[in-house]
Amino acid sequence: MSKFYLLLAFDALLFGTIAMSLDLLMGYTGLVSFGHAAFFGLGAYASAVLLERGIVSLWACLLGALLVVGLYALVVSFFATARRGIYFALLTLIFAEVVYTFFRYTQTFGGSDGIQGVPSPRLIGDVAIDTPLRNYYLVLVYLGLAYLACRVLVTSHFGRVLVAIRENEDRTRFLGYDVQRYKLAVCMISALLTGLGGALYPGRSAFATPDLMLWTVSGEFIIMVMIGGLGTLAGPVVGGAFFVLLQEKVSSYVDWYFIVIGLVLIFIVLFMPRGLLGVRDLLGGRRWRTTA
Amino acid sequence: MAHDGIVLEVDAVSKSFGALAALSKVSFAVRQGQVFSVIGPNGAGKSTLFNVISGLHVPTVGRVRFRGREIAGLAPEAINRLGIAKTFQITNIFPEISVFENVRVAAQSRARESGRLASLWRLPDVEPGTAELLRAFGLAAKRDELAESLSHGEQRYLEICLALATEPTLLLLDEPTAGMTPGETKEATALIRRIAAARGLTVLLIEHDMSVVMGISDRIAVLHFGEKIAEGAPEQIRNDPQVIEAYLGPPEA
Amino acid sequence: MDYLVAVLLPQLLHGLVFGAALGLLALGLTVIFGLLGVMNFAHGELYMLGAYAGIAVVGATHSFWAALVVAPLAVGAIGAVTELTTLRPLYRREPLYGLILTFGLALVFREGARQIWGGDMRRIVPPFTGSTPLLGMTYPNYRLFLLAASSLLLLAIWLFFTRTRAGILVRAAVQDAEMLDGLGVNVPRVFTLTFAGSAALAALAGLLLAPIFTVYPQMGVEMILLAFIVVILGGMGSMGGSVIAAFVIGLAQSLLTLWMNPQRVAIAIFAIMIVILIVRPRGFFGREGVLE
Repeated sequence: MSKFYLLLAFDALLFGTIAMSLDLLMGYTGLVSFGHAAFFGLGAYASAVLLERGIVSLWACLLGALLVVGLYALVVSFFATARRGIYFALLTLIFAEVVYTFFRYTQTFGGSDGIQGVPSPRLIGDVAIDTPLRNYYLVLVYLGLAYLACRVLVTSHFGRVLVAIRENEDRTRFLGYDVQRYKLAVCMISALLTGLGGALYPGRSAFATPDLMLWTVSGEFIIMVMIGGLGTLAGPVVGGAFFVLLQEKVSSYVDWYFIVIGLVLIFIVLFMPRGLLGVRDLLGGRRWRTTA
Repeated sequence: MAHDGIVLEVDAVSKSFGALAALSKVSFAVRQGQVFSVIGPNGAGKSTLFNVISGLHVPTVGRVRFRGREIAGLAPEAINRLGIAKTFQITNIFPEISVFENVRVAAQSRARESGRLASLWRLPDVEPGTAELLRAFGLAAKRDELAESLSHGEQRYLEICLALATEPTLLLLDEPTAGMTPGETKEATALIRRIAAARGLTVLLIEHDMSVVMGISDRIAVLHFGEKIAEGAPEQIRNDPQVIEAYLGPPEA
Repeated sequence: MDYLVAVLLPQLLHGLVFGAALGLLALGLTVIFGLLGVMNFAHGELYMLGAYAGIAVVGATHSFWAALVVAPLAVGAIGAVTELTTLRPLYRREPLYGLILTFGLALVFREGARQIWGGDMRRIVPPFTGSTPLLGMTYPNYRLFLLAASSLLLLAIWLFFTRTRAGILVRAAVQDAEMLDGLGVNVPRVFTLTFAGSAALAALAGLLLAPIFTVYPQMGVEMILLAFIVVILGGMGSMGGSVIAAFVIGLAQSLLTLWMNPQRVAIAIFAIMIVILIVRPRGFFGREGVLE
């Protein structure tokens, strides 16, 4: 397969997995995160900083991303989950903007250029993930493991409570559930999964820039989930892939790209709220919107 | 702490919202196994009282004790875990999931895994208890329907199932028969009485429908403008002049 | 003392004007959310469109005053059309959809403006120049005008919400949207008018501030982020809280720019928000028992 298509496939699967982790929040718990790009970008920066300094172990990069994103996510979740869902959307957005501003204007991290020209990470010993094909396999593993984790989560006690919170947050509290704890937990899980994806990005791109953390990127993640279908897990993966391909086509006519994105979002919300995969759900008659 | 068979003690509770005094020095005690009703004209403070007991509001002054333990100021979920379950005056269920799942997720909160790490991958089996509750309230046939597709009366029953699934000791029922037809109301009243007795529950009830109240209650407290103006057995309350005045207005001069 | 008058005072006055504009935006957000259940992510774009509409009118008529009348009306009309076509179907749905749809709208408006007017910074020339001696230093006339205009505007709004039947109705409905049903009010019309009204006000704010700030497609983004912070601090149940928080943030923003560069100011405002949230998690006037 040509290098170009492998890289495209990498992006499709990577962002698809991130969209799936966002679905845990959006589709299952009913919380919209407008700041997911920050989790992604922080993971990328954590990885890039380590690689730049010669710490080329892939595992170190992943661990670094987990620590950095985990810490940030803990702080964001703490504030964002304390009140009603609407505040979650606003606060995730605000936090992400601050993170973007910080990295954009801090020279230590390269300012607007970010960190460029980092070496490829090593799996073990001398085995470097330095070809498109190897990156592709890596992201396949990431997708597979992430999907398994999400599946288990969603069919568990925890997953059912998330849906209850989505359907009626107040009632869930009065049934004895500490709703804030649940929201915090799912936000952390979603953020960490996304951060891991971010950690894989410098291996493919050899850079980490502030643009990865733009709120428009957060918007793109949201579109991916919407296209694929809320609360389906597999849907957002497809949605992510679909969007990456769409973007590839459309941004060659770059200028009004954002108008297209905006219109797509509006269209989906109004006419296809269940997304591409969700339509199947609708036809089959919904019983339980998140049946395995 | 010894509590002498008193399950709930409301001790001089006052609640103000800014300048509005919703409750003024309300006190009463509910004994184990009783069906205790709180009645009063609109705006008397009945729902505020329930909200204070269930943890939505903190009393401005006064205490609330549940089985001897102070609960005023605790979070709603903590109070539920202690054994108080509430139903809502305006039906408050999970609309887009199945009837069965509605009750199952309520019952699940009492499973061993709840709140523990294992809850991330395990699904507790609370299905038998759930099915039994649905059967008791005649909802078993509709278990796979979406909750929002139930009739109003059935949704009111589902409300109660949700509360009961959390295995409470004290059940707070906020106008359970609101919006029901007279036939449904009669049925519901009998059902509540039967199930409460079967499970050894104590019931605190807000009701408007006098026939329900008189038929089901062991004891009644009457609220008016936030104050308790009478308390006693149904017969006493029925004939209490102050109560009559509160409902019907002052007697002709 | 000289410093106080020459530097601090103008910034203080500027902060009041800025706070008033923020208050207008935050009020719009609060009222729309309370009444329609939709968090209008596109509100900043309505503000921005007001400025551009002003540019268009000034370009055609050379009259700022004409723009002051026409621009809000035009944007109000845009608001009405938007509400009728895209928001109306969403009122019965989960709040998640409103968020995403207005996010899409924001993208469309923003990029649309960029396509029509270009991405360069533009200026609107103030309708009058010159300064007046005030309290020991000279103060630009237009800024004095702004001070007066914003005070009048806020007063008018306060009167509307407390003295007119329509205003009292809307205010009560913001707290409890269901009450409108029982009053024989033409609810759809109230919704459309309210949305159009909030759009017109946002546009007016954008136009009035345009001669001081530059006009560019992204100008709404920064304002909306601050407006979100205001809403978070003020609490969404409280209109008075929003206004007070708006002045706090407006003044903070204004005064901090004396000592820090813009990026640091943004981070400082954010830090202030965090501190307030730690001390008062529900904001200034959060209502107990709403499970805020």
